[in-house]
Amino acid sequence: MPHPQSSLHLPVNCASAEVMHIDLNSCFAMVEQQARPLLRGRPVGVTNRKTANACVVAASYEAKNLGVKVGMTFSEATSLAPGLILVETDPPKYHWVYQKLVEIMRSYSPNVTMKSIDEGVVDFSGTIEHINRRPLPEIGSEIKARLKDEVGTWMSCNIGIAPNRFLAKLAASLHKPDGLDTINHKNLRQILSTLELTDLSGIAERNQARLNSAGIYTPLQFLDASAELLKRRVFKSVCGEDWHHRLRGWEVDSQEWATKSIGRQYVLEDRQPSEEVLRSRLSYLCETTAMKLRYKCMSARGIFLYIRYANGDYWYDRKKFKSNFFSNAEVYRRATLLFNRRPLDAYALEIGVSCYGLEPSSMNQVSLLDEVNKEVWLTEAVDRINSQFGEFTVTHASSLGSEAVVKQKIPFGSTRYFELLCSRA
Amino acid sequence: MEDIVTLNKDVSIVAYYFHNRGSLLKCFPKKMEYEGKSVTFTKTGLRHPTKKGNRMIHVFDMTDGQADYRLEFDAESLSWTLVSIADMHYATPSIKPAFAS
Repeated sequence: MPHPQSSLHLPVNCASAEVMHIDLNSCFAMVEQQARPLLRGRPVGVTNRKTANACVVAASYEAKNLGVKVGMTFSEATSLAPGLILVETDPPKYHWVYQKLVEIMRSYSPNVTMKSIDEGVVDFSGTIEHINRRPLPEIGSEIKARLKDEVGTWMSCNIGIAPNRFLAKLAASLHKPDGLDTINHKNLRQILSTLELTDLSGIAERNQARLNSAGIYTPLQFLDASAELLKRRVFKSVCGEDWHHRLRGWEVDSQEWATKSIGRQYVLEDRQPSEEVLRSRLSYLCETTAMKLRYKCMSARGIFLYIRYANGDYWYDRKKFKSNFFSNAEVYRRATLLFNRRPLDAYALEIGVSCYGLEPSSMNQVSLLDEVNKEVWLTEAVDRINSQFGEFTVTHASSLGSEAVVKQKIPFGSTRYFELLCSRA
Repeated sequence: MEDIVTLNKDVSIVAYYFHNRGSLLKCFPKKMEYEGKSVTFTKTGLRHPTKKGNRMIHVFDMTDGQADYRLEFDAESLSWTLVSIADMHYATPSIKPAFAS
């Protein structure tokens, strides 16, 4: 479908609905209920750590019916649902379900984009005439049945079909759980008339306030607003024009973005961490950041470090270097340069490291400098040992003790590092 | 809070069953023996592979209706490990699971 950037005012896209959005219902909680049949029908919350202040990262529909919301702390959630069962995340399990979902989706079209660990888009354009001759709702029902057959009977998903990704996602959110809906030019106005502005993906409180300030209070008014109004007055950027096209069923969300930075952050388990603990956690974060860099076959030129303090202060520093780096030791050494400059007024609460200025790795290129070659060979040897015997078999002495505490968590957005994460889980 | 007991003990799987999952016939544990007791699984939760270094491990989440069991099959050593027993409190209260203390 051509990108409609050239023309500001567009009619509703009357093309047939050929984009399918598939979203697993309460993914992690549902997978846990699938794996442990005695949890089925019970309120289940999934968390990264089993502590009172841990956040619920997924809740089963039984828990949601009792008022539990994703993002609540465990204590808040149990006050609403006293029988809530808190289960710790198990990444390999979710990874397998993710793989099965991708496998099912790819069996219908080569044009599959995973938006996150539990949702993806299948673009059927170009396949309808020759491969998928049946109506898409029929294929949607078949996907639901295959998910139950190939993964487990407790599994269900929401499916939305529309001419573009945004409306397909909206269609998938209409009847949760286990919905299957189509939005096209014929029913677009009728469906939008039943929704609130904040039901639209991408419209939260701030964007709602922006729209309200321009006299737009409902999705239908949003649909009828001119591109000019949205661009000049509401969003004050090209985003307004994108919204105009998006709501009318034109594709504006198929852009793939390149990786700009790679990093990790960690909320410290100790409210008053010692210098030794801080350096150990920093070393561990640097190691895992460097592993991610190498996994993506990248090296970096810049490093960014931030610390959030218990008194609410936030400190950050960044530095760009002339030479690029990719090894665990180099990321840690360069992060330490910044770390030593940090203010010491309060206890650190959270620490984060990221590498930027990314470029393709030059590890395969033999250098004229012997010390560079030695660093590459050492890094490759350590990576091979860890790949054979499990991650952190050989690790920095400064990171010792951190591996047990800083657990790798589930990536909510991108699934770029999922394989790497599962090899460490 | 979650009701789980971690064991990590070697066990014997003395009976298997086969089930069609997708297009292939898959094999699942049916009966487990451990310290003179036996457990007959009535339902499969999930089977998923994972890796420990280069070793392929198949994880089976099974239930006998009284508790949920997590079993690991090491494809290199061909051994079974009972990793944990969970959710005993959510089963029918009249019958105690075989491994409940």
